[in-house]
Amino acid sequence: MIRIGNASGFYGDRFSAVREMLDGGDLDVLTGDYLAELTMLILGRDRMKDAGLGYARTFLRQLEENLARALERGVKIVSNAGGLNPEGLAEAIDELGLGAKVAHVTGDDLRDRFPEALTANAYLGAWGIAECLNAGADVVVTGRVTDASLVVGPAAAHFGWGREDWDALAGATVAGHVLECGTQATGGNYSSFTAIDATRPGFPIAEIEADGSSVITKHDGTGGAVTVDTVTAQLLYEIGAPAYPGPDVVSHFDTIRLDPHDRGVRISGVKGSPPPDTLKVCLNTLGGFRNSTTFVLTGLDVEAKADLVRHQLEAALGADGLTWTLARTEHVDADTEEAASALLHVTVKTADAKRAKAFSRAGIELALGSYPGFHVTAPPGDGTPFGVYKAAYVPRTSVSHQAVLPDGKVVEV
Amino acid sequence: MRPTSRRVPLGTIAGARSGDKGGDANLGVWVRTDAQYEWLRTELTVERLKELLPEAGEVDRHELPNLKALNFVLHGLLGDGVASSTRFDPQAKALGEWLRSRHVDIPEALL
Repeated sequence: MIRIGNASGFYGDRFSAVREMLDGGDLDVLTGDYLAELTMLILGRDRMKDAGLGYARTFLRQLEENLARALERGVKIVSNAGGLNPEGLAEAIDELGLGAKVAHVTGDDLRDRFPEALTANAYLGAWGIAECLNAGADVVVTGRVTDASLVVGPAAAHFGWGREDWDALAGATVAGHVLECGTQATGGNYSSFTAIDATRPGFPIAEIEADGSSVITKHDGTGGAVTVDTVTAQLLYEIGAPAYPGPDVVSHFDTIRLDPHDRGVRISGVKGSPPPDTLKVCLNTLGGFRNSTTFVLTGLDVEAKADLVRHQLEAALGADGLTWTLARTEHVDADTEEAASALLHVTVKTADAKRAKAFSRAGIELALGSYPGFHVTAPPGDGTPFGVYKAAYVPRTSVSHQAVLPDGKVVEV
Repeated sequence: MRPTSRRVPLGTIAGARSGDKGGDANLGVWVRTDAQYEWLRTELTVERLKELLPEAGEVDRHELPNLKALNFVLHGLLGDGVASSTRFDPQAKALGEWLRSRHVDIPEALL
C-alpha cells in the first residue's frame, strides 16, 4: 500500500496545509494541484512580465518552510506547481540549499504550435512523474499534467505498473480525481454541510493498493468527514460522460464501487481502457479588456430606473460590448434598505483598453444626474485584460513528454 | 392510485456539485437510496432540468447508477470560460445549490 496525501486543490489554497499534512500522520507522498484553466492564464500574464516566473510562487514558500521536514520524514513531494516554468521552479527549489533531489517534468508547452495563444499546454500523464520517482527524486515538479497524474505517477512507480495495466491505472486515476480538489473530498463545499463539522476540513489521503483500489481517508483529529456522500460529491465534480478520458487511461466512472470503511471510504472495481491517441491542449488567448460595475436600484420603478441608466451609459460609451443583467432581488414594502434593492450589473468587453477605462468615467459621471437613489456597490476600476479558454487536441506521438532527472539526465517518456 | 407526494426542494433528498470545463458547466446530482435513485432517474430528464433551470441551453445527461447519481453537462452556459464570462457565477460553482432549491413533487415514501 502507498499512502498519498493532497495539500492543495488550487493556487491560493490553505497555505498551512503542507505543514498540516506532514505533521498530521504518516504519508509516503504529498501532492498538490495548483493549476486550473484560469491559473494557466494568470501564470501566462506573470510570464509576460518576467520570463523567470510562470510557476506557483506559494508552493516555493511552502517548501521553504517544510522541505527539510519532508526530507527528514522520507515524504516525497509531487506537484504541478511548475505551471509554465517547471524548470525554473526546480532551480529555485535547488537554490533552497537543502540537498533535496529535485526532478521535473516538461514538454507540455506547445506555444510554437499555437502562436496566437498566450498559453498552450498539453495535458501530460503520469509516466514522467513515475520516471522521476524511479530515479530517486525527493521532489517532482511538473507543468501541465492532469491533476490525477499527481497521484497515478507515484502509485505506478511504487507498484511497478505497466502502461497497459488499465484497471490499476483507472483505479488510481479515480483516487486522484477524489484528491485533486483538496478538501472538496472531505466535506468542503458539501451539500449536507449541516450534518458534519465543516469548519476546517482536513486534506484528503488515498491509501492505494497494488490493484489500484484505494481507501480515501484523512489524518486523525482533522475536521470535516470522509463518507460515501462526500466522496460521491467530489467524483461528480468537473466530469462529463462516464468514460472519463485521460492521457494514460480511460477511467469508467460507471464501474466505481464505493463502500464505507472504518477510516473513510473504500473505492474498488474501477475498469480502465486504452486512452485516445490524442492529448488535450489547454489554450488561453487574450480576448481583450473588461470592466464592470453594479448599480443599486432601490424601491419603486426598478425597471424604469434600469432603463434610464442603461440609456445614459450607452449614449456615453456606445452599446457595443455591453452586457446588462438586472437581478430582481428587491422585495415590496421591505423593512430593510438592502431588501428593498435590486442590482443592475453591467460588463463591458472590448478590444480597446482605453474604452474599458472610459467605462468607469462614463459610469461615475452619472452620479448626480441619473435615477433617484443612484449608487454603486463599488466604484469601477480601470478595467483588466481577460482571457478566452479553448481546448484543442494534438496527436499524442507529436508531444515530447520529458522527465528531467535529479542528475540532469533527460528521459523521453 | 398515484402515491402521495409533497412539494419540497429537490435538495431535501438530493446532493449536488457543479463546476466548469471551459465554456461548459457540469452538474452532478445524487441521492442516497435505490428507491430515491429510481425516482430521480425517471423524474430528472433533460426537459425537466431545463424547466427547473431555464437558463440552461443544450444539455447532455449521463446516468451513474453505481453512484446513485446523474451528471448533466450544460453546454455553452459559461460562454468562453470563466475569465471571459459575464454570467453571474461564471464558474457554475453554485448551479447545483440552485437546482437543490427548486421545488418538485417527491413521493412521501422517499422523504
